[in-house]
Amino acid sequence: MAKEYLVFVEDIKKELLEGREILLTIKDLTPGKRKYENRIVKAIVSSLPDKLPGGDILRVRSWTGVLYPKPWAIKIVEEAGEVVPGIPHGETLLKSQ
Amino acid sequence: MGYKDLREFIQILEKTGDVVHVKKEVDWDEEAGAINRRVYEMGGPALLFERIKDYPKGYRIFAGSLGTYRRVAIAMGLPPDTTVKEIFAEYERRSEKPIKPAIINKDKAPCKENILLGEEVDLHILPAPMVHTGDGGRYIGTWDLVVCKDPDTGWTNWGMYRFMVYNRRYLTGFPRLNSHMGMILHQKYMPKKEPMPMALVIGADPISHLIASASLRKEVSEAEVAGGLLQEPIELVRCETNDLLVPARAEIVIEGEVLPDKTGQEGPFGEFPGYRTEGIRMGVTCRVKAITFRNSPILTLISLGVPPDDNSVATPIASALAVKKVLQRHDIPVVDVYSPPHAVLHTLIVSVSRGGREVANQILDAITLRRSDWNKVFIVDDDIDIFDLGQVLHAFSVKCHPLNGVIIRKIEPGKAHALTPCYTSEERRTMSGGIVALDCTWPPEWPKETHVPTKNSFHDIYSQEIKEKVLKNWKDYGL
Repeated sequence: MAKEYLVFVEDIKKELLEGREILLTIKDLTPGKRKYENRIVKAIVSSLPDKLPGGDILRVRSWTGVLYPKPWAIKIVEEAGEVVPGIPHGETLLKSQ
Repeated sequence: MGYKDLREFIQILEKTGDVVHVKKEVDWDEEAGAINRRVYEMGGPALLFERIKDYPKGYRIFAGSLGTYRRVAIAMGLPPDTTVKEIFAEYERRSEKPIKPAIINKDKAPCKENILLGEEVDLHILPAPMVHTGDGGRYIGTWDLVVCKDPDTGWTNWGMYRFMVYNRRYLTGFPRLNSHMGMILHQKYMPKKEPMPMALVIGADPISHLIASASLRKEVSEAEVAGGLLQEPIELVRCETNDLLVPARAEIVIEGEVLPDKTGQEGPFGEFPGYRTEGIRMGVTCRVKAITFRNSPILTLISLGVPPDDNSVATPIASALAVKKVLQRHDIPVVDVYSPPHAVLHTLIVSVSRGGREVANQILDAITLRRSDWNKVFIVDDDIDIFDLGQVLHAFSVKCHPLNGVIIRKIEPGKAHALTPCYTSEERRTMSGGIVALDCTWPPEWPKETHVPTKNSFHDIYSQEIKEKVLKNWKDYGL
């Protein structure tokens, strides 16, 4: 049975690039105590689930949490660590300078 | 005060009829948040959820500790029907008499009943709620108390900052850059590229959380102010993995360190202005090193949203009175400051003994010095009871000159509130915006005898002689 994941995107076209490996933070929607746990993965995604056979379900929400009606598909290639290198508030610091 | 911790406070709420025990199993995944939200909107009681899906019996969630003025009064040991004005006045009196905390040994601290260290750490053992549909994750820190310390001065700060369970051993949060926590992190730890120790405290006594939510001055000890409010010392105990002191009778303490070279996704989260305004961002990442908790722990929840809730009812008491102190320090003739729940910490009402444009500008200078959370300020003369919004609206309607009585200022990047819904996405990201003062006072240069209109109220327009006569004969009129 396909697993379900969730991703939040600010710009769906720029961030969910199809047909190539991309780096994503996804949330595991498997029911139970660990639901919503974050995973950083290299993955291939598709807006057309039929074109990614064997893929899992990827729910997509906008950066403010609005659910896009159609689910995508995702195939995880590999885990890419627990957290991301960078500084706290990095992007906000950059914007406020 | 009649209680020493959250558990004893809940017992008092039972006696006053201000808490409901929910015995039916509820899901931590949105259900508890949705129930809590609806009860807030109905003006209902605090809630103790006694059975949480996926979690052992005894693991509970408590919501809405200070969600009504009635519960705030009870938490302060006042009669439940104490008026809002009296609550503010009593808070002000007590906050001026801080009491030093008492540091107790670990073996006397209930929060040390269970201790998980190192590899034992797993945040998923606690029933952190998914508060709203579409939030970025499970928020374990909503009505919380976050402790961090300035390594140079030793000043310990308590703040209320949201924190999300990122995975089993990491939290992510987004304390604002201009918050005390944000400033300590970026001014004291980041330049040295050192991790910043922190402790996330859940389920301390309700007054400690109220004080954590207040914007008190830098270097002020929130623990001492909380002691003043409670009229007895707060008991503190040392953390297991750092030297921070935390409320010893708290339900749960999560010890960790904010990493200087790592980040992780945080948010979005339905926040206190009543909207999910800000989107997902790369926040601060806290590596958890220990979890200590009481047997049968109670996790606290606030399903933030449109007013009223704990944040819109209780937090403005501390915040408005903090503003009053700021104005007093700037020699502004302030009489009182109030921010009603429906203002959600955006609108402030200030009464002054002497008004006019110059004073309005002084008020704006003072309240935007470090940051500008407030973006609308009503300034009224001191004949207005600012706790009576009808009087404030009347003063605004008739005394605020549409051209001369409105002062608008831009707020420079880094100082405005990123969660203010009316700001553009760019303004929120750069924390820039604006503030407007609505001067509802008579210009001080207007001669009282010839130019200041006479107020047509029983108190103001009639002679003392006729007022006394009317009051003396009041019952005889059949009234």
